[in-house]
Amino acid sequence: MKQTRRDFLKNTGSTVLGAGALGLLGPQLSFGDNSKWKAAQPPTLVVVYLRGGADSLNTVIPIRDPLYQQLRPTIGIPPKDTKDEKGALPLASLFGLNPSMAPLYEYYKKGMFVPIINAGSPHQTRSHFDAQDFMEYAAPGVRSITEGWLNRYLSLTKKDSDSELRAVAMQPLLPRSLRGEYPVLAVPSSLGTGVALDAFDSLYMCKEDREMMMRAEREERKRARTDEEVAGYIRQSGQNTIQMLRKVEEITSRARQSRVRYPETRFGKQMKSLAQLITGNVGLEVASVDYRGWDHHARQGGSEGKMSNMLGDVSAGLGAFAEDLGPRMNRVLVLCMSEFGRTVRENGNNGSDHGHGGFMLALGGMVKGKKVYGKWTGLETAQLWRGRDMPVHTDFRSVFFETLYRVFGLKKELNQFFPDWRPGQDAESKPLNFLNSI
Amino acid sequence: MLRMNRILLYGVPAILTVLAFSLIGRGVLQAQEDETLALPKELSQREVTFHVLNRLAFGPQPGQVDEVLRKGWQLWIMEQLEPDQIDDGKLEAEIRKRFPSMRMSMGEVLQEYRPRYKNRPPSRQEQRLRNQMRGKVRNELRYAVLLRAVKSRRQFQEVMVEFWRNHFNVDQSKDQVSYLANHYEEHVLRKHVFGRFGDMLMASAKHPAMLIYLDNSLSQRPPTKQEQKAMDQAKKKGKSSPYLKKLSRQRGLNENYARELFELHTFGVAQENRSGGYTQKDIVELARALTGWTVTYGQNADYGFQFSKKVHDDRPKKIMGRRFSGRDGIREGEVLIQGLANHRNTALFISKKLCKYLVNDRPSEELVQNVAKVFLKSKGDLKKVYSAILFSPDFLKRENFRAKFKTPFEFAVSAMRATGADLVDPKDTDKMLGSMGQKIYQCDDPTGYYDVAEAWLDPGVLVHRWTFALTVAGGRARGVVMPRDYYLPILGLQPKAMKARLIDTILPGGVDLRTDRVLEQAIQVDAKNRRALASKILGMLLGSPTFQQQ
Repeated sequence: MKQTRRDFLKNTGSTVLGAGALGLLGPQLSFGDNSKWKAAQPPTLVVVYLRGGADSLNTVIPIRDPLYQQLRPTIGIPPKDTKDEKGALPLASLFGLNPSMAPLYEYYKKGMFVPIINAGSPHQTRSHFDAQDFMEYAAPGVRSITEGWLNRYLSLTKKDSDSELRAVAMQPLLPRSLRGEYPVLAVPSSLGTGVALDAFDSLYMCKEDREMMMRAEREERKRARTDEEVAGYIRQSGQNTIQMLRKVEEITSRARQSRVRYPETRFGKQMKSLAQLITGNVGLEVASVDYRGWDHHARQGGSEGKMSNMLGDVSAGLGAFAEDLGPRMNRVLVLCMSEFGRTVRENGNNGSDHGHGGFMLALGGMVKGKKVYGKWTGLETAQLWRGRDMPVHTDFRSVFFETLYRVFGLKKELNQFFPDWRPGQDAESKPLNFLNSI
Repeated sequence: MLRMNRILLYGVPAILTVLAFSLIGRGVLQAQEDETLALPKELSQREVTFHVLNRLAFGPQPGQVDEVLRKGWQLWIMEQLEPDQIDDGKLEAEIRKRFPSMRMSMGEVLQEYRPRYKNRPPSRQEQRLRNQMRGKVRNELRYAVLLRAVKSRRQFQEVMVEFWRNHFNVDQSKDQVSYLANHYEEHVLRKHVFGRFGDMLMASAKHPAMLIYLDNSLSQRPPTKQEQKAMDQAKKKGKSSPYLKKLSRQRGLNENYARELFELHTFGVAQENRSGGYTQKDIVELARALTGWTVTYGQNADYGFQFSKKVHDDRPKKIMGRRFSGRDGIREGEVLIQGLANHRNTALFISKKLCKYLVNDRPSEELVQNVAKVFLKSKGDLKKVYSAILFSPDFLKRENFRAKFKTPFEFAVSAMRATGADLVDPKDTDKMLGSMGQKIYQCDDPTGYYDVAEAWLDPGVLVHRWTFALTVAGGRARGVVMPRDYYLPILGLQPKAMKARLIDTILPGGVDLRTDRVLEQAIQVDAKNRRALASKILGMLLGSPTFQQQ
C-alpha cells in the first residue's frame, strides 16, 4: 500500500523548466494563491474521458480533404446534407463537425467551444490501458508515476482551509487521473445514504473518547502489522466518505430545480448532478466523468449509427450543462479527451482499429473561439504516423499545461509537474494558446 | 504422512512444503508464549485457517473455521483441489431448475430465449417480448454466478472461476453475446479451471462469445489485387453480379482480438526493452492467421464455432520471427495459440496475475519466478500452478494476512456467507454490485476489472458496503434471508459476551484495535434491547474496515 502513495516529487526525475517556458503563454491573472477564492468560487475544470479510443476523423471531419471519403467509403460523413445523409456542420478551414453534435455547434458559433485536432500522446502504445494510464498520469512511458495528474494538482495546491469537495468523479470508481494522495469523492449514482453515514460515523471517525483512540492508534503503530495498516487505509477512506458525502447530501437537498432539459441518459444525469454541485458553491475545482464504449472496431457508422449516437449524447449533455450554468461557464472549462485516435482507413467491418493521434474538445467561456486548433498535415500516407494513423502534432501535456496555467493560475508549481517534459521542448509541445485567462 | 505424499503428487517442491509446515508449527508455539503483544511473526493455526478460507473461499460460513481447523486446513485445500470429489448436487440441481439456460447448447438458448419475429418489421409486442427474454437469459447467468459463489461447497473452484472470468472477460451486453455467455461460463471457464491454461485459451479463442465480443468473427482476408480490380471496374461501369456482391461484402481484417490475445490473455502489454515481446506487425500477422475463425450465424440448433476457409488469409506470414506457409488453414492459428499459451512471457504474466489474486497486490519477484517455472514445466497445468502458490512460504506469511482489500463481489458474497444467509433472489445484490462499479459479466473493457485494492478503495464506495451491511444484519436485504434463529443463541448473553461471540463468528481472526474499542463503547450505550444490539453489532462488523480485508 505504502508504495502506491508515493510522493511524486521525490520519486521522479522531473525536468526543471527553463525560465522562459512560462513566457510562451504570455500574461495571465494570478490565481496561484487560492485564498482569494474564499470570497468568489474557484474556477472548475471538468474532464470528460472518452474511453476506448474515440475516432477523431468522424468527430472533427476534414471534409475538404478529398482523401477522406476515399479512405472511408462506408463510414465517411458527407460534407453537406444529401438525400439520405446528414452532412458535417461547417467549422473553420477545411473541417466540419459531426452532424449529431448540433448542441455543441451552437457553442462553437458563440465562440465557447473549440476542437483540437491531431492531439495525443507521443508514446507509441496502441494499448488502451497503457495509453490511458500514461495520459491520466500525464507521464507517457514513465511507469514510476502512480498519481493522476489532477490529483497531483490538488496535492500541490493543498491548504489547511481546503473545501471538503475540491474534487469529485461522477461515477462509482475514480478515474486514474484523480487517484492519489489527495482524497477525492466518487459520487454514488443515487443518494440518500444518510442512514449508513450515521451508523458508521463512530466506527470510522473514531471521535468519541479521543484518548482511548489515540492509545489504540499508538499501539497499532508499535505492532506494525500489515493487516492493521491496511485497516488504517480503509478507515481513512471511510472518514473521507463520511465527510464528503455529508456535504454532497447537503448541497443536493438545497439545490435549485433546474429548468434546463438534460438528456435522459446516464451522461445527461451525471452532468445534471455535476451542475448542482458547481452551483452549490462548495469550492469544487475538479470534476471528472468517464464515458465508455468508444472502441468501434465494427459497425461504427457514419452520420448515423453507433458512434454518432454517442457523440450526440455527449453533445446534448454538455450543451444542457452549459445552458444550465449560464454565465458561470465563464469560470468553467470542460475538456474532452480520449487515449488515442483510430486508423485513418476504415477496417473490414465498417469500423476502425486502434490508431495514434486523436482529438480534444474544449468548452467554456475562457476558450478563444471560432477556430479549430492544432496542425493539419493531410491524409497522404507519407504524412501519417507509421503510414496508417493520424500523427500527434499537439502533445496532450501542452494542453494540460495551458489548462493548469490559465484555469488555476499555476506558475512555478508547474516546473516539476510533468516528468521529463517541458512546454516548448519540441514542436508538439508548444502551447496552443487556446484559452484566455479568467 | 499421507497428506505430505499427496502434496508431492501435485508437484510442489518438497522443500517449500516442508518449509511451510515448519513455519506454521513455530507460529503456534510463539503465539501461545506471547499473546498480549501480538507480535508473532507467524500466523496461528486459527489465523491460517481463516486466511485460507478468506482467500481460497469467499470467506468462512458460521463455524466453518473451527470445522476446517479440526479437519486440518491442508486436507481442506487438498479436497478443494479435487472439486469433482465434492458433492455439490443439491446446488447444481437448483441451478438447473432455476436457470435452465446454463445447461443448454448455444443453439438451444437462441431457440428458447430469442423468439423469432413473425412480422417484418417486427411488431412492438414482438420486440418487447424479445427484450424481455434477452434480459432473462442475461439475468440467469449473473444470478447463477452469484448463487454458486455464495452456496457452492467447491469454493476454491468458484474463487478461481471468478479469476478467469475477469481474465477472459466478455461483456454480455454486446450484441449476440447475451445468448452465448452462459455457455461460455460453463464450457470455457468452468470446464478448464483445473485443466490446462492452453486448453482454456483455445476454448476461449473458438467460443462464439469471445469471437463476437472481440470482433474476430468479422475479420476476413482483404480482397486480392485481382478481386479489388474487378470491384473497381464494376463500380466504374455500374455493373453488378452475385459474385461481385459477395466480394464487396468481404471486407478485411479486424485486429481487435489478435491484439487482446497478446496483450490481455497471454503476454501482457508489450514493454520496450523486453525480449520476446511483440510488435504491431506481429499483431497484424496474427490477425491474418486468425481470419476465418468465426461463427455459424443463424439460429440453427448446431450454432457454434466455424472455420471459414473462404475468408481465411492463406498467404505466407511471419510472426515473432517464425514463418508460416499460410496453407495450413485452421492449424496455423491453433499452432500459434498453443505456442502463445506455453510461452515464457505468458507463464510470467499469468503467474504474476495469479499471485496478485491469491497472495497480495505486489507479490515478490521470487514467488512469481517460482510459479512461472512450474507453469512452464507442467505446460500450464493449472492445478499445479495453483498449488505452487498455495504451498509457497509466501502464502502464509504474516504480512499477507488480511493484506488484500475485497472487491465489491468478494465483499457481498463473503457477507452472505459469514451470516449463513441464503440467497433466495439475487436481483438486488446483483444491482448493488452495479452501483459499486462491478457488474457481473458486464465489464465493457476487455481488460476486465482492476485486480488491485486501490481501484476499489476510493472515498464514496464504502457507503454502498455499509448500506448492504446494515440491511443484511437487519434482515431487510431483499432476497437475502438470514437463518431465522440466527440471533437466538446469543440473545441471552451479556453484551460483552455477545460482542465476543459475533466477532468470533464473523471475523474469526479478530478485529483491529480501534474497531474493538468503538464496539466496546457501542454496547455500553445500547445494552437494553438485546435483539437490536445484536443486529447493530453484526451490521458494524460487516461494515468494519476488517471485514473489507481478506
